[in-house]
Amino acid sequence: MLTDLARVIVVMGKGGVGKTTIAAALATLAAADGPAVLVEFGDGESGLRALAGVRTVEHITIRPDEAIARGSRGLFGSGLLARMALDNFAMRPLLRAAPAIRELAMLESVRQITAERPDARVIVDMPATGHGVAWLRTAGQGKAFLGSGPLFDLCDRVSRELVAPGRISPVIVTLPERLVLQETLELSHALAHDPGVAAAAIVVNRMPMTISPTILAAARLQAASSPAAARLHALLEARLQTSDEALAALASLAGHSVPVWRLALRPTDPTATDIAAALGALAEAA
Amino acid sequence: MSAPPRVIVCVGGGGVGKTSTSAALAIALARRGARALIVTIDPARRLAGAMGVALSDTATPIALEGARGTLTALMPDPRRSAATFVEILFADEPEARARILDNRLYQGLADAAAGVHEIVAMSLIAHASESGLYDVIVIDTAPSRNAMDFVTYPSRLTALLGGKVMTFFANFAANATANATASVPRRRGFLARIGDRFGGQVESLVAGVVGPNLLRDTASLFGELAIVRPRFVALTARASALLLGPAATYLLVSAPTAAARDDAVYLHERIKRIGQRPSAILMNLAAAQGEGDDWLDALEPAPDSDAPLDAVIWTLKAELTARRAATAAARDDLARRLPRLPVVSLPVVESPAPEEVVAVLSEVLDGQLAALGLDSLIA
Repeated sequence: MLTDLARVIVVMGKGGVGKTTIAAALATLAAADGPAVLVEFGDGESGLRALAGVRTVEHITIRPDEAIARGSRGLFGSGLLARMALDNFAMRPLLRAAPAIRELAMLESVRQITAERPDARVIVDMPATGHGVAWLRTAGQGKAFLGSGPLFDLCDRVSRELVAPGRISPVIVTLPERLVLQETLELSHALAHDPGVAAAAIVVNRMPMTISPTILAAARLQAASSPAAARLHALLEARLQTSDEALAALASLAGHSVPVWRLALRPTDPTATDIAAALGALAEAA
Repeated sequence: MSAPPRVIVCVGGGGVGKTSTSAALAIALARRGARALIVTIDPARRLAGAMGVALSDTATPIALEGARGTLTALMPDPRRSAATFVEILFADEPEARARILDNRLYQGLADAAAGVHEIVAMSLIAHASESGLYDVIVIDTAPSRNAMDFVTYPSRLTALLGGKVMTFFANFAANATANATASVPRRRGFLARIGDRFGGQVESLVAGVVGPNLLRDTASLFGELAIVRPRFVALTARASALLLGPAATYLLVSAPTAAARDDAVYLHERIKRIGQRPSAILMNLAAAQGEGDDWLDALEPAPDSDAPLDAVIWTLKAELTARRAATAAARDDLARRLPRLPVVSLPVVESPAPEEVVAVLSEVLDGQLAALGLDSLIA
């Protein structure tokens, strides 16, 4: 399943679609074949919760301040010089106010983590949709207007070694809902256009059970018998329409030869191990 | 002069249906006679799609049949924020406006920086609040743990544009640009000239790293921004007064999942940190005995039936049982972690049409306005 994907997998999608759990599941799957790292940004709580005790995956949290400190050590040639330059009354507010700098520093951290572990799969749990694309674009944008200098070199390195076709594979997580799928199509186009790394796979999470036309017909026959039966018919009709719409939207993605992995809706929150097993079964079937 | 409007800020993690809930709340208030404005900070286009509104910096009236009040939507387009920001700050200086929009540092920052969009949204909110056209403004924040950034970001930018910092950058960039193009003897002169100041070493260090292009753009951008700092500070102050003042109500939107619960607790803390107190939790996608989905209990297929429809009914019953358990667990957990905060449950609405989901939620919310402490807004 992961063999066609680049060594670094960035998991993207809108908030609340199950991105973190799926990133943790991909890392769990990857860990069966060798070293695997799950990278997340922020407080590090969510990735750990999703891993739920999986011991085979190395879990790394990248915090903005640390990323800036680490990235600037390289830029300035030494940690001391970097601190002198950045820890001053004018630079501190600039770094706090300019998100692009933090984003660039965090991408550079991902690049370093990847370079330091040449044998490992690196799975990155990216921020939600709009921000995620903006992050991936920072290196290219910086490169385009800096022209030269050490910061230009850093952007160039991140562009060539990380945010490039063959270097990272974006995996987009989505839900079978009209608006979420629309966003997925937009995200997929945006990624291919700039930074120019096309989505490698789409994961459709929480697919409800399939309602066949036969079942819907049976529900329609009974609909007049009681208010509950009428509600059942209406619910099944809504679900069938939702899943038909989802399938049509996904077909347009499949037209671009992006593999689509479907995961069933579960009554309770799945862990990374649950999802890894489901993804493994999908790979077997394919 | 009319009283300033109430501001309701809806805050929650991703995937809890915050967008639909915010829209539904605005609709419920408009139906009861309020002149309601719904604003989305969410850079995604969900609400716009659901309500049939185009993304724009101008408010769009929405027809609401049989409503005693009015509903208006304001959904600023994140892709236009960079331009709008400059239009707001440099309303009377078209030349400065053009120069900034041309500045590549600004283009880069504005594109990647969510903050600029949030500042634009805030200034549009401040403007709307002073128009006298609205009794209540419902704000749908970004669906993330960083949702509160839109309140704190302007102060971060104000700190950056602060006199001392600003002068430092403007001077330093100007000097270093001169340095980059100067011949060797003048270079030494430049270093000697700045060497007697504390910041000298920092300037040359940073200059060496970022290169001349960034310095030139930084110099001109800061030069322009310095001129409008008072305007920016005034704008921020108005928006902050609105969001941090007594007219603001914060609602936490959550759902019966572990992640949504943790997000709610985390955001509760963030809201407290800005000196506000959330007034209620809206538990979306909930299921409880005696609410909404009871009809499913009335369906009782024979246990030994192998009809496909009966199998579907059993599956639906299992889903409902699980959702009820999750809802009860979430309510217990939140009651323990956020005691004294009322919880209002909203049902799962299964429909392919987002506008129908919003319509059903607004009917449910209509009966809960008092529980949310919003009864003073309705006639």
